[in-house]
Amino acid sequence: MDVTPEPNKDEEAVGDLSYDPKGMLDADDGAVLTRLAQLVDAVDPVPSDLVERSLFAITLAGLEADLMEAVYLDAPLAGVRGAAAAARADDTAPAEAKTITFTHDSLTVMISLSPSAGGRVRIDGWAAPAAGLDVELHRPGADVVTVASDEDGRFAFDSVERGRASLVVRRTDGGGGAVSTPVIEL
Amino acid sequence: MTGSREALPDVDGPGLTLGDRAAIALTEYREGNHQALGDLVREATPLLWHTVRAQGVGHDAAEDVVQSTWVALVRHADSIAEPKAVLKWLLVTAKRAAWEAVRKHRDDEKRRTELPDDSPEHPMALPAKDPLPDDEVLREERDRILWMSLQQLPGRCQELLRLVSLADRPDYRHISAAIGMPMGSIGSTRGRCLAKLRTILDEQGDFSWT
Repeated sequence: MDVTPEPNKDEEAVGDLSYDPKGMLDADDGAVLTRLAQLVDAVDPVPSDLVERSLFAITLAGLEADLMEAVYLDAPLAGVRGAAAAARADDTAPAEAKTITFTHDSLTVMISLSPSAGGRVRIDGWAAPAAGLDVELHRPGADVVTVASDEDGRFAFDSVERGRASLVVRRTDGGGGAVSTPVIEL
Repeated sequence: MTGSREALPDVDGPGLTLGDRAAIALTEYREGNHQALGDLVREATPLLWHTVRAQGVGHDAAEDVVQSTWVALVRHADSIAEPKAVLKWLLVTAKRAAWEAVRKHRDDEKRRTELPDDSPEHPMALPAKDPLPDDEVLREERDRILWMSLQQLPGRCQELLRLVSLADRPDYRHISAAIGMPMGSIGSTRGRCLAKLRTILDEQGDFSWT
């Protein structure tokens, strides 16, 4: 089924000045790639806390909760032109109210983060469809805090320390499985 | 699950690649030692990040895709048949999740634009795949030429070389396979994309890269 000609025969580029694709990597190949790696990182840097968030997410993987997905309607638009600049802006963004929506199958959880006294964060949440829920707040190196929602699916954590966190949501009546949000930065 | 242990490279041997370390990390994780996996997360997250971003995923969503790829790895730790291919598994998993994220985002945007109160300031737009770097990023002439030469390659070549640059050279083959450009069984060859890039670079002048 493979009708592709020999790779180095189908390219007009193979002339005297061209490099042999089948040639071994030479020192300049390595140096070009190393330089390229630096540019790739400079143009679109890896978010500084992504590794730590991933590590914490791994420790929560044992909770057997299905991962919810965050819905970011605006982020890609904001990040279109100049991801590096956007990333820098994110890092220094002031602490203001921020709403994030998470979905999993039919369950939607919306949380609103707002500043609380002492540089801490208040989390107001709302889940739909409305049901009694137990909501656990997981943070690295801290005990799990659990609050119960009211019957409309509303819940709140009054004062939470900033940093990485994930919410795990379970129905009080035991129906359905547990779901968890990705690890987010409060 | 430990049967393939002998097939893995010697832990203390020289010249381990990212792919080798990924294989060792998975095997050790299965045996209850989580340290190596943590190291792998630190080392391979940039590769996953750029893999996901190359699919056109927004900044915040890309962070979640990378995170969920790592979660998927530990959840499937016992069912990944070939530890030696775990780097490829990670890349393919990240890439699929990225496509899914792009598709969902498009659906969401479409739904929003169908709402009557949608504003014209919210055009449906896909993220530009290659944001033009700020001048401060490409301060050096050499870097500008490298970046612009890269842009002259076909899109898949660009993606491949950006990812390959972030891994160890012998991993080239695994990465090529993961993004659907198999190179055959011979490792450490230059490959067509890099050969073209080198040719374009040479046409731009005589630069020292080493």
